[in-house]
Amino acid sequence: MRVELRNLCKRWGNVVGVDNISLEIKDSEFVALLGPSGCGKTTTLLMIAGIYKPTSGEILFDGRIVNHIPPKDRNIGMVFQSYALYPHMTVFENMAYPLKLQKVPKDEQRRRVQHVADMMGIGHLLDRKPGQLSGGQQQRVALGRALVKDPELLLFDEPLSNLDARLRLTMRGEIKRRQMELGITSIYVTHDQVEAMTMADRIAVIKDGKLQAYDTPDELYERPRTLFIAGFIGNPPMNLINGVEVVRDGEEYLARHQAFCLRVPAERGKHVAAKGEVILGIRPEDISLADDGQDGMRGEVYVVEPLGRDDLVNVELPGNTFIHFLADPALRLKPGTPVALCFNTEKVQFFDPRTERSLLWH
Amino acid sequence: MEAVVREQPVEVVARRRSLRVSLEALTFMSPTMLLVTLFFFVPVLLLLWISLTNLSSNTFGNPLCVGGVRDVCESLGIRAGGVEFVGLSNYRRLFSDRFFPKILRNTLFYVFSTLTLFNVGLALVLALLTTHIERRAGFLFRAIWLLPRITPSVIYIMMWKRIAADAPFGILNQFLTPVGVEPRFWLREAPWLFVIVTNGFVGASFGMLIFSSAIESIPRDYIMAAKVDGATTLQIIRTIIIPLIKWPLLFVTTYQTLSLLASFEYILLLTNGGPGLYRTEVWSLTAYHRALQTYFGNNQWGYGAAWGFVLVVIGIIFSIIYLRVFRFNELVQEPKIDAL
Amino acid sequence: MAIWVETERTGGLSRQLRSSMAYVLLIVSIIPILVGYAWLLIATFSYRTEGLLPKDAEGHVGGWTLANWAFVTDPLIWRVTLNSLLIALAMVVGVGLASSLAGYALSRMNFVGRRGFLSMTLILHAFPSVTLLISIFFVLQAISALPGFGNIFGYNTVGGVALVMVSLDLPLGIWLMKGFFDNISWDMERAALIDGASRFRVWWEIIMPQIRPGLAALAIFTFLTGWSAYLIPATFTIGTKVSNLPVYINYLMSETSPTNWNQIAAVGLFQMIPILVFFFFTQEKLLNIYSGGTKGGV
Repeated sequence: MRVELRNLCKRWGNVVGVDNISLEIKDSEFVALLGPSGCGKTTTLLMIAGIYKPTSGEILFDGRIVNHIPPKDRNIGMVFQSYALYPHMTVFENMAYPLKLQKVPKDEQRRRVQHVADMMGIGHLLDRKPGQLSGGQQQRVALGRALVKDPELLLFDEPLSNLDARLRLTMRGEIKRRQMELGITSIYVTHDQVEAMTMADRIAVIKDGKLQAYDTPDELYERPRTLFIAGFIGNPPMNLINGVEVVRDGEEYLARHQAFCLRVPAERGKHVAAKGEVILGIRPEDISLADDGQDGMRGEVYVVEPLGRDDLVNVELPGNTFIHFLADPALRLKPGTPVALCFNTEKVQFFDPRTERSLLWH
Repeated sequence: MEAVVREQPVEVVARRRSLRVSLEALTFMSPTMLLVTLFFFVPVLLLLWISLTNLSSNTFGNPLCVGGVRDVCESLGIRAGGVEFVGLSNYRRLFSDRFFPKILRNTLFYVFSTLTLFNVGLALVLALLTTHIERRAGFLFRAIWLLPRITPSVIYIMMWKRIAADAPFGILNQFLTPVGVEPRFWLREAPWLFVIVTNGFVGASFGMLIFSSAIESIPRDYIMAAKVDGATTLQIIRTIIIPLIKWPLLFVTTYQTLSLLASFEYILLLTNGGPGLYRTEVWSLTAYHRALQTYFGNNQWGYGAAWGFVLVVIGIIFSIIYLRVFRFNELVQEPKIDAL
Repeated sequence: MAIWVETERTGGLSRQLRSSMAYVLLIVSIIPILVGYAWLLIATFSYRTEGLLPKDAEGHVGGWTLANWAFVTDPLIWRVTLNSLLIALAMVVGVGLASSLAGYALSRMNFVGRRGFLSMTLILHAFPSVTLLISIFFVLQAISALPGFGNIFGYNTVGGVALVMVSLDLPLGIWLMKGFFDNISWDMERAALIDGASRFRVWWEIIMPQIRPGLAALAIFTFLTGWSAYLIPATFTIGTKVSNLPVYINYLMSETSPTNWNQIAAVGLFQMIPILVFFFFTQEKLLNIYSGGTKGGV
């Protein structure tokens, strides 16, 4: 099913929840709504579900306005953060509830519930009450309940945030897999950019009720259009360095800062030259230690946070500037160690500090 | 359904939807609306109306069949009686009643002493004591203090009648004789004492429960800090606990003032306003006596309604004050489902 | 543990002294209550009482008897007991149903006039409804005039008494139920709506099972209120056929002469049985619900 939002707004009195969001979701696409908590992403989802009534704007399913169709007639399945299982019903009754309401015959109910339950690997739990299940099992039941009525659209509201880290990883793969197999259009709300990056075909980044960007994960990562996206997408987050000035030096462009002076490729530098002070962005993985003899920017290790595969190293540059980069744990960097750093200048980003927009991508 | 959505302008559908949602909610509200209308709204208006008529046993009839309406009533076979619209004369009569000053004094005395001694005073002491001791024990004492409230009024008053009874039956006499107090018929000699005590023993539990849950929710750090600073128990009560439970105190005080003003069940059962003439008669009991319970079978509904309506006005004023002062409205959360 | 007193520093003797003083004061405070109940119990099983002492016909201590319980063979007592029970059950069902419907709508539905209804509920909750008895008398008279309906819910019927009592307790019930509904997860209700349930089915099949403890508390409270009711039955009924236990007991106390206190005490204890059962088994619920803001009485 295709979903389209047109100038969607939701206000409660003076409080603006969702502010003029427009986007299109293709048939069987998996779209993530990503943003910090309270940004309006869940509100958007609940409007799509028919739980909230839009203040203005339209929601279209397959080109048809559904603003005034109640949730039960929208043919959607929804999975909640709290699972929202009915605690007084067994797993079977929970999953059969939508079918019972559709007056599906008893034996067909049993057949369909069993089928979905087996697919979700909870076929042996049908007689239990939700309270007797683990978090992961409960979430499978919730997903099964959403799937059992063959919805045309699946809505997920932070379904994994109540699970422990390991289980989250497993379920992430599982949801992605089911979605691909069944080809159901899905909208997935999350504040976890890793979840969004790994699962979604496209990500809608939302902040303060406004749509910041709507693009594929790669695009968002490689070409962040705003400072917010640059800081929000990617883990560990991008380093953002204030007070950088880019000047033209013959055929070359130089990014100058109190602590360093970098040569920048022309196709990036030319957009930024003579724009006054800008913000330079560089991802931790695009910074490395300078080889011996290479002329890097000098600094001193401030804190080392071992992440396992890498060490996340916080380096203090002159002028009270701190940047993170990823280092090989074998190097055993210690606070106080002097280091020289090299930026992969092919990957630097530039932002206008006033508009907070990218100077490279529009 | 789908066809409807396609054919009609969105606004029309929207309006019809929101109407349907409101109708659905009103269905949920309908039993309540019916009962509240029948037994709150109609009675308030009817009380005002009756208080402006001379309705009594002598003129008994449908209170609405007054003046020109009487003929209509009679043609419909409704008993009209001799009901007449008498304006404010019931209210004039009320204020010039020979016993009006006495009843007013009684009412103020009763409300003020029960409130200060028991419903707030003793309630606060009980809350402090039961939160001071071991938790389970405190709970037990509060439960016992709830007994007077859940005991049927008739049985509760029967117990007190026996406690305050004349020798040789009275229990109080039995306790006091050994210490040299002459046996007497306490209920007759000190009716006010027992009116206040019986009401107070029921009333104290309400404040006790509210105060003790308020005290229990005071962060312990405050009290610990005061203890470390060397405060005595009394200082802690005065300077920390009382200021922190200011709102519950104010709430119980106003709420119980209104309750005491309007309630008369225990007095009705214990002394019925006596002994003698109006010794313990209070305002609300007067309204009841005049309108619904007379010795001579002469119910003066009109006159009683005037007494009653004065209380209704006070009640409405108090209720609106609660709404404003305690801002109950702001506790109300908005529904998180619009439901189409 | 004590809430506001114990600290490391004040442990030891002075604390023990003060806490035992608190016990002494509390025990003294409940003496009148215990004495009242002690009398009820002693009187019930004795020939007559002087103070708390059971006495026999000669005035000696003793005279234990079961004769006071002879009333259980009187059909009249069962008639008034049945009336009491009917009023109590009507309260449980009526208040429970009407207030859980209204409480649900007020807590969880968006509709025109919702705020107005909420304010109304609050005002009525504080409002001294006993002041309205005079005009309720005429409302019941009017209901009596309705054909058919009047015989069940009119003046001088058990149904009429129950109807008035249900109505007067509704504001409290609605306020309590609304509080219970407020605490139910919104996601669960949203899930049910998406699953295809109507609001009515959501209320009955999904939400009501979640608030069973709250419903039970309200049921106990309304049962006790109905079971113990005196003023309203006494005001709106005439004669023993439709009176309930408290009205009957009061009639025995004031109209029979000489008053047989011991026999009345037995009827009183008989009426107290369900109350004491609830008291012993559901203290916690009772404490909660009574602090939830009861009214009437004092």
